[in-house]
Amino acid sequence: MMEPLYVAGRSPLHRLPAWLKLAALVAAGAGLFVLRDPRWLGLAFALAAILVWSTGVTARAVWRQVRGLLWVLLAVGLFTGWFQGWNDALAVVLRVGAMVGLALAVTLATRTSDLIDVCERVLKPLERIGLVDAGKVALALALALRFVPEIWRNFQEIREAQAARGLGAHPVALIVPLIVLTLKRAQEVAEAIDARSP
Amino acid sequence: MKSNNTVLIALFAALIVVLSLMPPIPLPGIPVPITLQTLGAMLAGAMLGPLRGALACLLYLVLAAIGLPVLPGGRGGLGAFLGPTGGFLIGMVVGAFVTGWLARLLAGRATGTWAKLVGYVVACIVGGIVVVYAFGVPWLASVTKMGLPKAATAGVVFLPGDLVKAVLAAWVASRVERVWPMLGR
Repeated sequence: MMEPLYVAGRSPLHRLPAWLKLAALVAAGAGLFVLRDPRWLGLAFALAAILVWSTGVTARAVWRQVRGLLWVLLAVGLFTGWFQGWNDALAVVLRVGAMVGLALAVTLATRTSDLIDVCERVLKPLERIGLVDAGKVALALALALRFVPEIWRNFQEIREAQAARGLGAHPVALIVPLIVLTLKRAQEVAEAIDARSP
Repeated sequence: MKSNNTVLIALFAALIVVLSLMPPIPLPGIPVPITLQTLGAMLAGAMLGPLRGALACLLYLVLAAIGLPVLPGGRGGLGAFLGPTGGFLIGMVVGAFVTGWLARLLAGRATGTWAKLVGYVVACIVGGIVVVYAFGVPWLASVTKMGLPKAATAGVVFLPGDLVKAVLAAWVASRVERVWPMLGR
């Protein structure tokens, strides 16, 4: 359930270094805010769509990512169209579509580990002045990834236990035991780590 | 207890992931089914305190940003941040901080069970709703260029669900506090 969105491939976007892709994304985000003409925004949207397609992603995976956004975009488009004219509405929808598309393309074409590397490099100067501890950040990331499936399993078990006692599957009643279990597990893990560290 | 805080932050981030991936709950009289993601942010603040709560939310957002499908509905990646609702994500971090700070201030000093619960409710409403909307609504307004008043009107749809979540988070926090006290730690 925690498969990254990354799609393995050899497209030109895959081969660019991760930091360049992220820097380009930030620049594109700023650029799109300035553009107002729907024609240029349409061009940007088309470019984003081509980039997403070039990563070799399946249509199903893209649909999963954008289906929630479609409703928001539809509402925003109708709202803007009604109050400010359809030219503006088109511009808004294309701008958001292009921005999300470009970001999705970067996400699909960049390995999670490469993105973490960029994060680490950005954190380096902060570490030197003593603001963050890169080792702790790495530990926290690894632990969070490790414990998502486990907490999900706890959630299922609590739900089954409550169902066996004739209680309906109400998430509210699940959360208290789920949090207590998580806090308890956190203490055990912390003790285990401290026992092994010098 | 050197790694205690790091582990707590990591496991709470994992808990927010699980809460986000739970199926959305339809509530009677509320137009949009609620997801438990913002509940996770309120709980992180209320249970872990300002700093650790904010860091747990930040870690959750890092997981999303590096391309893991941890946002509600299995979404993730950088697109979620640049989209119209990205401000609500960034707002989670500051929201958890304010929730935690207020929870320590109000619920930490309260003596009775009800006084504690009220303290938690206030903390969750101010931190989890007011602060989160203070980031989310201007972001929505600037991404869609629809102007602040209209964006605020659009945000009102989510207000009833968020109020329910704030009360729920407060109730959960006060229940957990009785079994596993976190306020003083």
